[in-house]
Amino acid sequence: MSLLSAASLRHLLRHPAQLLLALLGLALGVATIVSVDIATASSRRAFELSMDAVNGPATHQIIAGPQGVDEQVYARLRTTGNIPLAPVVEGYVTIGDRSMLLVGVDPFAGVGLSGAADGPKRPDPAGWLIRPGAVVLSSTTARQLGLSVGRSFNLTVAGSERRATLVEELRGQHAGYDTVLFTDIAQAQEWLGSVGRLSRIEVHLPAGRPGDAAAARLRGSLPPGLQLVATRGRARESLDMTAAFTTNLQAMSLLALLVSTLLIYGSVSFAVVQRRRIIGIVRALGATRGDVGRIVLLEAAILGLIGAGCGVVAGILIAHALIGLVSRTINDLYFVVAVKDTALPTWTIAKALSVGIGTALVAALLPAIEVTNSPPQLGLRRSVLEMRAVHAARRLAVVSFFLAIGAGLIIFAWTRSLLAGFIALFLLLLSVAAITPAVLRALAQLAARLVGRSSPIIRLALADIAASLSRTAVAVAALGMAIAAMIGVSIMVESFRESLREWLTRTMRADVYVTAPGPGAGRPERRLDPQVIEALVAVPGVVDYSLSRRVSVELPDGPVSLDALKPAHASFAAVPLTSPNPQRTWKDFARGDIIVSEPLAWRLQLSQGDLLTLNTAIGPRSLRIAGIYRDYGNDRGNILMSLARYRGLWHDEGTTGMGLYLAPGSALEASLAALQAAVHGRQALLMRSNRDLRDLSMSIFERTFVITRVLYWLAAGVAAIGLVSALLAWELERGREMAILRALGLTPRGAALLIETQTGFMGLVALLAAIPAGLLTAVVLVDVINRRAFGWRIDLHLTAEQFSNALLLALAAALAAGLYPAWRSARVPIGTDMRDE
Amino acid sequence: MLTITGLCRDFREGERVHRVLDGADAGIARGEAVAVIGRSGSGKSTLLNLIGGIDCPDSGSIRIDGREITALREPERTLFRRRRIGFVYQFFNLIPTLEVEENVRLALELNGIRGTRARRRSEDMLAQVGLADRLRSGVDRLSGGEQQRVAIARALVHEPELVLADEPTGNLDEQTAAVVMPVLLSLARQRNTTLVIVTHDRMVADNVDRTLELRQGKLHELRRGALRESSSR
Repeated sequence: MSLLSAASLRHLLRHPAQLLLALLGLALGVATIVSVDIATASSRRAFELSMDAVNGPATHQIIAGPQGVDEQVYARLRTTGNIPLAPVVEGYVTIGDRSMLLVGVDPFAGVGLSGAADGPKRPDPAGWLIRPGAVVLSSTTARQLGLSVGRSFNLTVAGSERRATLVEELRGQHAGYDTVLFTDIAQAQEWLGSVGRLSRIEVHLPAGRPGDAAAARLRGSLPPGLQLVATRGRARESLDMTAAFTTNLQAMSLLALLVSTLLIYGSVSFAVVQRRRIIGIVRALGATRGDVGRIVLLEAAILGLIGAGCGVVAGILIAHALIGLVSRTINDLYFVVAVKDTALPTWTIAKALSVGIGTALVAALLPAIEVTNSPPQLGLRRSVLEMRAVHAARRLAVVSFFLAIGAGLIIFAWTRSLLAGFIALFLLLLSVAAITPAVLRALAQLAARLVGRSSPIIRLALADIAASLSRTAVAVAALGMAIAAMIGVSIMVESFRESLREWLTRTMRADVYVTAPGPGAGRPERRLDPQVIEALVAVPGVVDYSLSRRVSVELPDGPVSLDALKPAHASFAAVPLTSPNPQRTWKDFARGDIIVSEPLAWRLQLSQGDLLTLNTAIGPRSLRIAGIYRDYGNDRGNILMSLARYRGLWHDEGTTGMGLYLAPGSALEASLAALQAAVHGRQALLMRSNRDLRDLSMSIFERTFVITRVLYWLAAGVAAIGLVSALLAWELERGREMAILRALGLTPRGAALLIETQTGFMGLVALLAAIPAGLLTAVVLVDVINRRAFGWRIDLHLTAEQFSNALLLALAAALAAGLYPAWRSARVPIGTDMRDE
Repeated sequence: MLTITGLCRDFREGERVHRVLDGADAGIARGEAVAVIGRSGSGKSTLLNLIGGIDCPDSGSIRIDGREITALREPERTLFRRRRIGFVYQFFNLIPTLEVEENVRLALELNGIRGTRARRRSEDMLAQVGLADRLRSGVDRLSGGEQQRVAIARALVHEPELVLADEPTGNLDEQTAAVVMPVLLSLARQRNTTLVIVTHDRMVADNVDRTLELRQGKLHELRRGALRESSSR
């Protein structure tokens, strides 16, 4: 190691607290990225494994809508062609409180298909199909459920209990099998209530041209309403559903990194400033600009590497907590996934290391340029340095203006791009950081002038902040940016919550909601027994009811949920239509038109009067859009259709849920008891009062935003550490100045007051800069990011609480930063600091 | 060896322009030891920075061994400085994070001399200034006189043709200065190194070959004894 590098390294090691805080800031920034990557990759991997287990070696699938595929079609295809096919019936069941995917396979066709290619093998059910209720589980799941071969147990399908017997355990299979329960196809049809229907037909086609030709032939021979799709493409469509959700998580983690970039900049530039004299000496001795610049960058790179290394380790630890939150949100909103193992993709480590080093290098670039361009004079005067900082602050104020203009232009130039939305948001936050030094200086000077007459110490404290801009501005800017983001996210979440609450109040008009229980929204097996419906309607006190069938239907870019409705009288007012003429819309709806939700209209760029083509059981049908309605239930979008029209198009007589309207003045508890009694022994149902269901919806919403909150607290934590680190270093550097004041008669209490005034003031300035910026951030998050990511239109709601957290953070960080220097200035003998110079 | 011709340097303070050097001229021969005296703020350190290529004049030229360093660009000036010039400062300017021997070796390392050869040369140099027993000490453990001797060793170790010393005794008491100055002067003479010393110290001025006074931006030659006469007056 050269002596220049050794000198630089030893300098860092002589300031361990400063080094530690810089590393902590960077490590947290990297950790956030790593943990989000691991959590999303693990959920993705779990989903892919379970797809792998369910799909086996199939390359394609023949699918239909919610009614499924008629098994006669399978029989015909099997006898007329020589393509390996296998029928599958699947649906969700629960064992105890655990959700499992029940997969019914054909013993004969399945074996043929399994042998068709390398890949995961299904169990061979030929040996156990003769036993009624026979099922096969992975040995891991069997052990977790306390089951052994030969043991019988109950499973629940949409509220109905079924008796099953474990006949075989699968050993040595990957984790994807842990959520799957295999049975014979006929047994699955019976349990899922889909006798004569298949969920899909699996197809194994050869690769390349012969495969394409076979696919074309097969497609041509399919009856209307059936589609041949690639298995991988379908899995990708399902994963794509979570794209907006994961993009938001990644953006939040980038925010934490952006904050840590500023902090690294602060640390590196501070380390350079501290060594300005040494750098002057080595430059005078003949070290070139390149030599000095290289040392600064090398130091930053090492700092980045160590910080990123620590960040990866911390990220893995944080990921364990985050995985639960991410998979729960995916389960709530998208599809059922059980994450058993954490996936740590190699590229995540590579990305983390390069992001860590890159961030540190970018952050160190300005100080490196600054130091190489400085003349090699010893001990460049502090006043010159501060004069430069003042000039830089003025230039940055102009830059800030252009950054904000740039953000606006990007939003208006790319009206649909989510990426453009995020770029605009980051430009906006950078604009806050850029304006902060000028604001800090102006406010400090103003405050010094205002309070100067009453207290010379306070005046000194405030004037010092303005005069030490090179030290104070970066820390305050980083904190300001983090607080702006925090306020923005708080307002967005609160606005969303309020909009959702209002929406729920308006849309949920029935007194009691009844559904068939079970995991997965839009699952065809979740249906109410027709006799149960009759019994519920006949309960005294029920004056009106609505029926709904929730299914998933195919659009060219993937599945979308469809609610087929037989509205009650009050239901019409419950759907918040955005179209100008609701009477007309409902009239068209009754005639067979559809109503689409705002997210779907946004995603597919649909307007009232457009046609939307759906693949129905009787072939593709173009349906006119009668209106658009506000909906927060599903970010992929939703279609409303009359139940009669749905039944005509899909030949599905099932009902997923119903809303019951009670006579005015009915006692809810008594009515619920009467309803429960009416269905007792027939089907276990989820029966919830209006209020319970609203609370449940709100709790799902809260769960969804837990991750957002965790991430923004991480970003805020990074900023707080940065502020503490920078201010601590600044205050310690001023040890001699403080010692002189103490020698002149400043009491320890006065010294502490002076220091806390300075740090507290800086926290307040960060907050002041952040409040308008936070409001703007909220507007961008609500009107740009949310709209583009999910298609939701949200009304802005402002409350005091959104700002109180930010105030708390700013003041706590600022005051904490002053504690040690205040204590030190009171305790360390005056002579020590005066001699130190 | 060193020729200064019509050297001018201004400093701006807001609207006001302060001319520190106003057509300074001087010539110094190889191996000569010259003191530059003058009142505080007269521009002595500025002159030294200009000779060392740390700063640039507004006009005029400086030639060292016929090479006009004022015409060189910054990177070339830096390379020229590290090969041909050594510096000694009032406040020593040692690197606090390096040991005594490392501080001296740094000047060699910057000139591409590394390894055992560099170590041996720096140790020899430290022995010549009487610090053979302090090689591995931290510089902050040394006394002022010892620190200045390390600085002298560092200034001479790479055998420059010219050593520039800015108030080398300014931070030392009289007794210590009496030990340090002869070390600098004798080592410079042994090596035939040209020495330019900016000083207020009469003892230093008495022991050099010539004394120049910087007055109103110009360099004036003082005859021997003139300094003593002026101070006694």
